[in-house]
Amino acid sequence: MKPILEVKNLKMYYNTRSGYVKAADDVSFVLNEGEAMGLVGESGCGKTTTSMAIMRLLAENAEIISGHIYFKGKDLLKLSEEEMNKVRWAGISMIFQAAMNSLNPVYRVGDQIIEAIVTHEPNVTFEEARERVASLYKLVGLDPKRMDNYPHEYSGGMKQRAVIAMSLSCNPDIIIADEPTTALDVIVQDMILKEMSRIQKKLNMSMIYISHDIAVIAEVAEKIGIMYAGKLVELSDSVTIFKKPAHPYTVGLMSSFPSIKGEKKELVTIPGEPPNLLNAPDSCRFAPRCPFATKECWEKEPPYEEIEPNHFLACFHPQNLRKQVSEYARG
Amino acid sequence: MIKYIGNRLAQILILLVIYVAVVFFLLHSMPGGIEAVLATNPNLTPAARESILKAFGLTQPLPVQFVLYLKNIFTFNLGISYSFYPTPVWTIIARRLPRTILLFTTATLIAFFVGFASGKSLAWKRGKTSEYVSTVVGVIAYTVFTPLLIFTLIWFFGSYLGIFPLNQFLNPDLWIRTNLNAQTIFLYLLLTISLIGLAMLASFAIAQKVSHRVKTRKIIFYISTAIAIALAVFWWAVSPVGIYGFDILWHMILPVMAVTIISYAGTMLVMRDSMLETIKEDFITTARAKGLPDKVVRDKHAARTAMLPVITNFVLSMGFVVSGGVITETLFSWPGMGMTLLDSVLAKDYPLASGALIFTGIFVLFAHLVIDIVYAFLDPRIRY
Amino acid sequence: MANTTEGMTASSEIFESPFKIKVKLMWRAFKENWRIFSESKIGMLGLWIVIIFAVAGFVVYPILASTIWKSTSLNAMVSYNPVTGYDFTIANNPAPPSLAHLLGTDPLGRDILAQLLYSTPREFALGIIAALITVFLGTLIGTVSAFYGGVVDTFFMRLADLVLLFPFIPFLIVISGMMQVNLLTLALIIGLLSGFGGITIILRSQAMIVKVKPFIESAKVSGASDPYIIVNHIIPNIMPLSFLYMMFNVTGAIFSEAVLSFFGLLNIRMSWGLMIYTADTAGYIVGTNIGTYWWLWLPPGMAITLICGAFYFIGRGLDEVVNPRLRRR
Repeated sequence: MKPILEVKNLKMYYNTRSGYVKAADDVSFVLNEGEAMGLVGESGCGKTTTSMAIMRLLAENAEIISGHIYFKGKDLLKLSEEEMNKVRWAGISMIFQAAMNSLNPVYRVGDQIIEAIVTHEPNVTFEEARERVASLYKLVGLDPKRMDNYPHEYSGGMKQRAVIAMSLSCNPDIIIADEPTTALDVIVQDMILKEMSRIQKKLNMSMIYISHDIAVIAEVAEKIGIMYAGKLVELSDSVTIFKKPAHPYTVGLMSSFPSIKGEKKELVTIPGEPPNLLNAPDSCRFAPRCPFATKECWEKEPPYEEIEPNHFLACFHPQNLRKQVSEYARG
Repeated sequence: MIKYIGNRLAQILILLVIYVAVVFFLLHSMPGGIEAVLATNPNLTPAARESILKAFGLTQPLPVQFVLYLKNIFTFNLGISYSFYPTPVWTIIARRLPRTILLFTTATLIAFFVGFASGKSLAWKRGKTSEYVSTVVGVIAYTVFTPLLIFTLIWFFGSYLGIFPLNQFLNPDLWIRTNLNAQTIFLYLLLTISLIGLAMLASFAIAQKVSHRVKTRKIIFYISTAIAIALAVFWWAVSPVGIYGFDILWHMILPVMAVTIISYAGTMLVMRDSMLETIKEDFITTARAKGLPDKVVRDKHAARTAMLPVITNFVLSMGFVVSGGVITETLFSWPGMGMTLLDSVLAKDYPLASGALIFTGIFVLFAHLVIDIVYAFLDPRIRY
Repeated sequence: MANTTEGMTASSEIFESPFKIKVKLMWRAFKENWRIFSESKIGMLGLWIVIIFAVAGFVVYPILASTIWKSTSLNAMVSYNPVTGYDFTIANNPAPPSLAHLLGTDPLGRDILAQLLYSTPREFALGIIAALITVFLGTLIGTVSAFYGGVVDTFFMRLADLVLLFPFIPFLIVISGMMQVNLLTLALIIGLLSGFGGITIILRSQAMIVKVKPFIESAKVSGASDPYIIVNHIIPNIMPLSFLYMMFNVTGAIFSEAVLSFFGLLNIRMSWGLMIYTADTAGYIVGTNIGTYWWLWLPPGMAITLICGAFYFIGRGLDEVVNPRLRRR
């Protein structure tokens, strides 16, 4: 397995009038070729910021303080805007959070996909591009005849499929899917996720799924990273994350979603809410909500370390917490 | 699409009838209305007064008169002007309406494109000093008192630099030596300009059909436009009446500049605000993520979508521009509808005043319709 | 009122009167809105221009007229009147700016600065009366159409479409050419005409948003009558937007007045537009004269532009208070 994307100690802050908002703080992970990875966390925890930093589509007031993003060995943060434009879509493409609005309302859907193709592959003629769009439409389960329609003539699920087709249009190495199904109803959600997973396996692409719903991610990702308040707190393969989660937050996340198949258990809510990232302190950011926090947690930042092969964690109390949490919840 | 246009057309026809009714009853119910003026107008001989009273049924009850008047409008029979007796009102309007149309269309198109382009790039580099400065300049141009603007223009270009004629529609010294009719030359000019416009439209449509690459389309469009303009210039240069056409054009520059400035600022400010809204949309992020060059994202995605509210605003600001046009025409002695309206009001020439008012209204309504159709073409969401 | 409140017993200090609470709340809301408004550079600029004009027109003018300009007055006993005041000490009129006449004199030998200041309160009055009528009508029609919907709504909205299409200034030109229009009638006409226009559409859509809010429903359930709900619940909530559009209407009214008096169509004795008209009809703004006699048209033109611009600036500043999405972070 060869690594294709390596994020190393990425620090991305928003510079606001009241100070720095530490939206992504010291995030590191490796994505291998053909691998599907999931990034999970509450809203505002820095998942989208991380993905936007990878695409270098940051807001004007965003500052990359330090870190590297290696894509196929090149550091994306050092590329010029023109070079970066070549990486976008052809190297790394994206499926956005709000697929409903990510198509321009005044152009035909097919033309918007063709636009991406001819921008990156100038040798492709218009007709060839159209044929490719038609085959992509078939791949994602859309009628190729619909490519001459405008976005407002599509239903929500169709738009989502069109956006997926668009993300595939330039044969990218990596697709970042940011909450790809949040706006859809549950049945369509499941269908589209399965479809995406099937296409990803078929084309042997790498994929980063971003979601607040760990259950959704578990179905499709081989590796799961848990983010909290701008930090990556735990990262491992899905089996490890589910069988022996080590971070109290991970446990809390998993207990707060019901499972249809598994044994009946009580849902546990994580008390409190995510901290304000404005001038965040240098201590464990989960400490205020953590039932196991000790004095150490309030004073120092837990290091992000590999506690066992391929299992990274930032917590002073790595242990099998699942039982303890359930007990804590019962009172 | 056809159904949509038909629908709008019907609506506008109804609006027109209401508009005529308001104008008619207003003029007839006011103290010192048409009859009173007829009775006291010294320009009219008793015989002429009698014939006007009879011809327009002014002795009949008001509703009957209204029906007659409405019928007369659709046959372009608007009565006889008092101040230009015995010229029919329609003859005067038919001579002057094209001048207003030319002035407005040229100024509006220039203002739209310049306002569109500058608003677009201002919003794109938000926060820079140039943005702040030009916003203030734009707002000042938007609220400037029209006569002040025109006096400044006349003073600067006409008097201080002395490069443009001060006023008048044409140069009398030049025209006195010929028996050519200025109106004919003017209509030829109008014809030429519309032909160039048609050629531009056609080449645009052809370019869309021929190629899918933006660059090729642009080249086809620019080259054919250049050819059309070159041909027109050549024809006018060769023809013996060229110098007269040139004289009219020369006198047009300052009025066009004035109306352009009046309608420019509004377009620019709305375009800027609309751009700032559009940039925040998700599809702009998508366009960037697709790796499109900055300019393509700005022009093809942001500006194209941000343009729609600007066109809507155009309808709303039409009244403002028309009133600016009245002032401009008067101050430049440009014999169009605005000047006719003012002169006829000052001369208490009611048939001409109401005719001018009604045709100004028709002009606005028609422009409204054109904008509606353009909007329908630009926004796929309202086509069905 | 103030005395009785102060004289009350200790218990009233704990239980404040509802009126007092209301005033306090309003004061707090005002302070908060003022803070947002004062952050808008363009809004503050407009406010300062308006204040300067107001001070010049309401305070400086009466003082100057009864002191310095009095000496040039025809009758040394009364204060200077810029409509009739002719300066005999000057041989050739219009005279360029001098110490005696800071902005020169007009073709009839009257002081330009005095005319400018004399007209200022009148322009304010015209603009504000017209805008008040417009906003009153617009708010009433907007809320009533939103609240009742149906035929009323359709009627007023189509009417607004029609008014919006009307060539406004040409229409005013014809009206004022036919009847003797003075400042007050003009304010009434402008106010009435624009009160049925675009403003009703905007205020109606705002009232629609307020109408579906839960507190309207609860007021209905508790048995409040329709007029009570409209006056006490809907109108206070669209008031900020009405106030914003009032500023734009002041601009429109002053501009229209200036245009009409510039064409000499109004039955008034003095106004900024009329000053330019006087100079124009006397032949001082034709041909090369335009540069020579700049003081005849530049000051009144600038005054109109500045006042129109100032109210427009205030409107844009208020826009940031009313529409939070326009604010910068």
